[in-house]
Amino acid sequence: MPETGDLLSDYTLLAGPDEMFAPDGSIRPKYSGLGSRLARWTERDFLARQAAADLDQLNGGVTFTVYQDDRGTERIFPFSLIPRVIDAAEWDRLEAGLVQRVTALNRFLVDVYTEQRCIKDGVIPVDVLATSEGFNLRAMGFVPPLGVYAHIAGIDLIRDQSGEYRVLEDNVRTPSGVSYVLENRRTMLNAAPDLFPTGSVAPVDDYPDRLLSMLNAVRPDGVASEDVRAVILTPGSQNSAYFEHSFLARQMGIELVEGRDLTVHNQCVYLRATTGLERVHVIYRRVDDDFLDPLAFRPDSMLGVTGLADAYRGGHVSIVNAIGNGVADNKVVYRFIPDVIRYFLGEEPLIRNVDTWVGTKPEDLAYMIEHLGDLVLKPANGSGGYGIVIGPQSTKAQIEEAREQVRANPAGFIAQPLQEFSTIPTFNGTKLEPRRADLRPFIVTGSSSWVLPGGLTRVASRPESYIVNSSQGGGSKDTWVLRRREDA
Amino acid sequence: MLSRVAENLYWLGRYLERAENIARMAAVNYRASVEDSADEDEAVLWDALIHAVGSDVGYAETMASDAALTPGQWLIFSRSNPGSLCSTITHARGLARELREHISREVFEEINLLYLASTDAASSRGLRQYTATVQRGVAATIGLYDNTVLFDEGREWFRCGMFMERADMTSRIIDAKYYMLLPSIADVDGPLDRYHWLSILRSASAHEAFRKRYRGSIRGPLVAELLILDSAFPRSLRFCVSALERHYGLATTGTPRMRALPVARELALLDLELSSTDTGEIMRAGLHEFLGEFQSRLSRVHDSMMEDILRAVPASL
Repeated sequence: MPETGDLLSDYTLLAGPDEMFAPDGSIRPKYSGLGSRLARWTERDFLARQAAADLDQLNGGVTFTVYQDDRGTERIFPFSLIPRVIDAAEWDRLEAGLVQRVTALNRFLVDVYTEQRCIKDGVIPVDVLATSEGFNLRAMGFVPPLGVYAHIAGIDLIRDQSGEYRVLEDNVRTPSGVSYVLENRRTMLNAAPDLFPTGSVAPVDDYPDRLLSMLNAVRPDGVASEDVRAVILTPGSQNSAYFEHSFLARQMGIELVEGRDLTVHNQCVYLRATTGLERVHVIYRRVDDDFLDPLAFRPDSMLGVTGLADAYRGGHVSIVNAIGNGVADNKVVYRFIPDVIRYFLGEEPLIRNVDTWVGTKPEDLAYMIEHLGDLVLKPANGSGGYGIVIGPQSTKAQIEEAREQVRANPAGFIAQPLQEFSTIPTFNGTKLEPRRADLRPFIVTGSSSWVLPGGLTRVASRPESYIVNSSQGGGSKDTWVLRRREDA
Repeated sequence: MLSRVAENLYWLGRYLERAENIARMAAVNYRASVEDSADEDEAVLWDALIHAVGSDVGYAETMASDAALTPGQWLIFSRSNPGSLCSTITHARGLARELREHISREVFEEINLLYLASTDAASSRGLRQYTATVQRGVAATIGLYDNTVLFDEGREWFRCGMFMERADMTSRIIDAKYYMLLPSIADVDGPLDRYHWLSILRSASAHEAFRKRYRGSIRGPLVAELLILDSAFPRSLRFCVSALERHYGLATTGTPRMRALPVARELALLDLELSSTDTGEIMRAGLHEFLGEFQSRLSRVHDSMMEDILRAVPASL
């Protein structure tokens, strides 16, 4: 690697495994093709392509909004050229494990809101549900079309020290990020087409079609397939994921609506059109449960549609994802999902959890309090990487403060060991450095489950960082699933 | 089509057209101020333009508090001026972002490029270059719109906004003559008068069209005829009104007739009047008065479009 070699000259592996380089510094087989194509580039080639990629995303308005930033609301998601590569054998295992997990999550959700067998049989402690923010009484007794609650799931994975993929977090409310998967691929093909192994990376642009078919499949009873009117409900253009809402609407050719565009008459939902009112059958909502219907949930919500919850329970409109999913993806319930899989499917989980201690279990709590300095503490109901305390990187005072918080509100926290998860070479503005990366595959479930090949690879912003969330400055990459017998 | 989306498309058309008009008028002004020397004249030219585009709210106060601010900067770059060219582009881009699923990637990118050119560095590259960028960018956007987006109801609302704004802007451009005072009545048709009419023609991109049409020297009534009554000149009031009438008809083909009718009737009347008058009649009644009346009728059409169609709440199913 004569010239690009300079970009990688000081590449120093971190404690966790690197996706591209083996511990001895050699390139791993799944990256060998990519490595040799990269070697044909000079440093200038690399910089030019990186600049082209950035410009492509900026000009295309591929942005997200940061709430706690007064410098302006939109930012591009920093994009880095070296992709995450997953070989065919790895992907087969992941795909099966993801379908297994989402199947179990859906069985669990139907059970929680109907018979609650898993509680009666002691799979999940009743107080875990009772204290869970995501449990929604409005969903009790309701089974959505096809028995699907989690139509779209984003399951966050990492590769641990030993190279094993583990589930870090389930997202079954309104997981976001899929638009960046599609846009990153487009940017990558525009900026660096010669980096691709010809014909052996699984395409990702099937997603909008799969999503649309699913929306059609979960239509209310009695509506003919060809009559289905589906819309996306967005909180509006100030929302951090607005780009994605609009992107998906465009890709599927369906209407993007705000709460004020919809109205309910006799439990049927209509949109306000220039020509009059038009019936809506399926709502892919990107608005949280709490804001969906001021009548049923938060009365101060300006984002929702009055009467929507009744229309939904009456079976006149389908809501995707269903109301009440938060009970399945909070961080305490996560601890019990492996048991949920065993209970409902009679199978061992194909992808394991990360070890987790929950404040609600007395023996877990004692361990957490004692070992806080070695653990990562997370708020049980938080997201976006906010409020995380990383023990090994904190001062004594910070740990003591965290300990007090846990004692005051044990149910509010979970803890996990600090994971030395895998890194991928990432451009830092001048050269390539290892950055920790996670992977969020997307699973779409209607009459069956389909997994988008790959998913969103997010990378931390700094070498010492363990947090990959975009709200914390993290970036993203293209993700390649290789077809059989091919090297990237 | 969603009412909110239709309204946003209408405003997108208006803002883009407005931006292009401000840019063009500013470029003409800039040229005049370079050619035409005296400082006080320059200030008068800019003041007239700022007044013509309705950008005078807060103008005097801001100028008084910021000695470094020039009238040109107020009109083009100032963020404290909601009607400045930069602000107009920012509004247009905000709408485009909300409308992304209704416009093509190409159209969005073109508008986004204009927006990116409007941030920070714009003022340092200079007024002339920025206005040229806007003129080209808006032209490209409108061209791309017609070549990459479905010719559906949304496109018709976009065109309605465009021609509504163009009609309004052209009438304001002509009316600017009212504020360009001649030293005495003897100067009518003299060099200064001709120079004023020339800059009005240039402000309306009509100089070459004028030469083709009349082949003679520039005289007020002929300029007025071209910019008001010529059905073949794409910025004339008559052209804009009949385009507006046509696009409005197409936009409301699915709308219940009684709701669409008031606007259609008013537009048909305006069209009829413009096609059955001549410059002699207009000049006798007073050009300034004629234009004032035209603008207020246009603004009533706009209001009733909002109330009857775009913001109407359908009473029943």
